[in-house]
Amino acid sequence: MLAVDALLRKVQLTGLLEMLCQEVELTDSQIEDAKKHYEAVGSWLTSASLLYPSLIYPQGSISLRTTVRPIGQEEYDVDLVCLVNGLSDSTSPTDLKQHIGDLLKTNGQYKDILEEKPRCWRLNYAKKFHLDITPSIPNPRCMQGGELVPNKLPDRRISGWKPTNPKGYQKWFDENGKLQPRFRLTEDALAKARAGVEAIPEQKGFKGLLRRCVQLCKHHRNEMFANRKDRDNAPISIILTTLASKSYAYCCTSSVVHDTELDLLVEVVRSMPRFIEVSEVGNRRYYNIPNKTTQGENFAEKWNADENLARTFFTWQKEAVAVFEKMAELSGLDEVASHFSKSFGDSVSKRAIGRLTTAISEARPRGLLSVIPGVGLSVGVARSNPVRSNTFFGA
Amino acid sequence: MTDFWNRTRKLTAAQQYFGLANSLICRGHGKVHQGNVVWEFEARPTLLSRTYRVRIRYQERKGSPLVYVVDPDLSGLAKGRRVPHVYEQKPARLCLYLPRTGQWSPDLRIVDTIVPWTYLWLFYFEEWLVSDEWKGGGEHPSPEEKLACAERNGFE
Repeated sequence: MLAVDALLRKVQLTGLLEMLCQEVELTDSQIEDAKKHYEAVGSWLTSASLLYPSLIYPQGSISLRTTVRPIGQEEYDVDLVCLVNGLSDSTSPTDLKQHIGDLLKTNGQYKDILEEKPRCWRLNYAKKFHLDITPSIPNPRCMQGGELVPNKLPDRRISGWKPTNPKGYQKWFDENGKLQPRFRLTEDALAKARAGVEAIPEQKGFKGLLRRCVQLCKHHRNEMFANRKDRDNAPISIILTTLASKSYAYCCTSSVVHDTELDLLVEVVRSMPRFIEVSEVGNRRYYNIPNKTTQGENFAEKWNADENLARTFFTWQKEAVAVFEKMAELSGLDEVASHFSKSFGDSVSKRAIGRLTTAISEARPRGLLSVIPGVGLSVGVARSNPVRSNTFFGA
Repeated sequence: MTDFWNRTRKLTAAQQYFGLANSLICRGHGKVHQGNVVWEFEARPTLLSRTYRVRIRYQERKGSPLVYVVDPDLSGLAKGRRVPHVYEQKPARLCLYLPRTGQWSPDLRIVDTIVPWTYLWLFYFEEWLVSDEWKGGGEHPSPEEKLACAERNGFE
């Protein structure tokens, strides 16, 4: 009985984390809005007679569906690739970028919202988003259909091309996401055990385990570093995404059986460092987090120039494990709420937990509230122990 | 059958005790003696909540159940704030229903009314700890009502 009890608590916590993710991610309409805009940019570039056929497509969190709203900034980033086919790597990246910029400037709509960045052009849609357009060309040496993008040096100058593979990466990420971890309870048994919790709407667990793991890591990172002096050293999203993805695949294919999705989340974050390749040469450490979908892209390249970045990653990772691990030990909605507020920010946490209160308060006058032994208040299954209408009295 | 006579037939202390002792939502222990019931059980309003030890005292003659939270100490959890919707702060005696409205009457089973309301009260209490706002609704008694209530419920 006790074991089931602990499992159900974790199921409910997972439900709360799911609500939190729904609070922090971009909405479908925001994504649609961005899509409408970047597709228009794509058509414009094609019609404005870029010498070769080109294609604008999203890379990063929008294409992986791992968006999290940035903290303290109204606009979110939409990373786009402008792939220009038919060019070889003898093309100068600076020239290609300039060419795209020149074309954008001939459009009155874009001229005034255009901003130059070292590697890309940014279109600023005030109070909505930035579209960051990075030029790319096909990489003939990549067997996996990768591309080349301008290579940014630490001093922000551009020098030559560097390999990348946004489409291959997305495919790799999605394949990993399809892996199914093993849980102690079968779906059927869990469904039965959940019957009580079910009640509270949207307690169905994570929508897409891997992407929820990534979003929780990213959002926790944003929150943890929001007010820190070393916030510029915070681990970058591509590193969190790559390590979470590798770790998730590892957790799914290992023989370990997880109790609940919350246990899996803890394990994914805990195992992330396993996938950082470290080699020591003399007194120095070299870090490698390779992009498996192309040759020669190391997401941790900057760590090798500044070891503080590696240290900051480990600080974040330790903290994140502790935050997710502690959840199962909390007792009291107030303790849960204060832990969530500390770890994920006050307003989104309150909104996520508020959805629980609202569910109960709305069910009450409709007679849909009942008490289930071992579970407590439940919505929608008023077969036994219904909570009759009452008015709390007293000072 | 909910005819007038059934509706007003008071349940005996023994009947109330029997109801409490046989329910899965208030498993605990207690006693019934000469028209008095004491029942103590553990309630956790939601899976994410604490477990509270609750004591119900009921005197057949007076007809109003008294509900105390004996552990943990609610005023301690409230950290200096006054706990809302209680008749007494320490130990907290819960105000669960509006007197003289028929929400509660001695012909009702405590286990079907007072016990679920206790769960609900505890849920809103934890929510209040977070938001500092009582979201469970309710009414506050006038001074005369308070007095009447105290007299009616005088049990100690």
